Amino acid sequence: MTFQPLFLEGPTGRLFAIYFPPVPHQQNRGGLVYVPPFAEEMNQSRRMATLQARQLSKQGVGVLLLDLYGTGDSEGSFQDARWENWIGDIIAAMDWLVGQCGGPIGLWGLRLGGLLAMEAAQRAPERVERIVLWQPVARGRRMLDQFLRVRVAAAMGKGGPSESTNNLRKALSADGTLEVAGYTLPSPLAEAIDAADLANLAPRTNCRVDWFELVPQTDSSLPPAATKIAAAWQAEGANLRQHTIVGPPFWALQVWTEEAVLVPELWEATVKTWVGAR
Amino acid sequence: MATLDEVKTVLRDTLQLGDRASNFDASTPLFGSLPELDSMAVVTLIAALEERFDLTVEDDEITGELFETVGSLTEFVDLKLAA
Repeated sequence: MTFQPLFLEGPTGRLFAIYFPPVPHQQNRGGLVYVPPFAEEMNQSRRMATLQARQLSKQGVGVLLLDLYGTGDSEGSFQDARWENWIGDIIAAMDWLVGQCGGPIGLWGLRLGGLLAMEAAQRAPERVERIVLWQPVARGRRMLDQFLRVRVAAAMGKGGPSESTNNLRKALSADGTLEVAGYTLPSPLAEAIDAADLANLAPRTNCRVDWFELVPQTDSSLPPAATKIAAAWQAEGANLRQHTIVGPPFWALQVWTEEAVLVPELWEATVKTWVGAR
Repeated sequence: MATLDEVKTVLRDTLQLGDRASNFDASTPLFGSLPELDSMAVVTLIAALEERFDLTVEDDEITGELFETVGSLTEFVDLKLAA
């Protein structure tokens, strides 16, 4: 199985990406740009994304795994990362992919990557024919609170002075940046994440969205936030399908295990929706 | 408590406890007794509860008492859902 590491030009610098070219099939099955999740979640889910890309490429779908500006092996430092530029990165990656494979071009986003993908689709609707969401972040503010809490917990564990997410937010806007778990979080990026809300990012009616939500075995219903957003989108005529897969949150910090948590059922379901009915 | 099973499932999935979680009941001690539950795991657990139940946990609500037992955690979730 071949894959090509490469650099492409983004709006603010060179972006690292890995391209999994489609294995030739009778029909062109298009291509997907993978939009990774935020900070440590990106590292935790790298294996899930790579193995999914491999499976899709075997089925004739080209996949580009993108590192956003200031993350992974792309240029720039995290503190120079901006929401607007990340949207531009995603659009640049789609432009690159269009030149590589025929068929429908789409976005595939995990967690914050899902939120970014929906906004990129709104910004460049003519380019995005399909979207795959894996456990998209519904509200940016909640995710950022969870991220800031990593620092609160670290301070708790060291027995240092206690911190709170509210105090950290104040320090962030006063200082312009904040160190959290090895990341220098810039204030403008934090503000943009805070403001991002999936409910306001309904897809165009001609763009099919497959939304996968990992759920526990004892209660395989969709979580309330996902149901609410679906209702808001469908009121605007969205072509949305929500799917539940039983499995653990593989993107979450797994401090107690060295091995990546994998959910093969999610790969199979994702391939099925992409390769199956149009 | 209707949510006891759901809280157990979130614990099992988040902390990768496997079958051990099925023996949990309301009196099972958590923080300090469960080696998997360190301060970082608390962060992950809170995040998982917020997303599963669509509730928002304030910083000052995250205390040692909250994570004392499976029952105290479940009670907290129930209170949040009733609010």
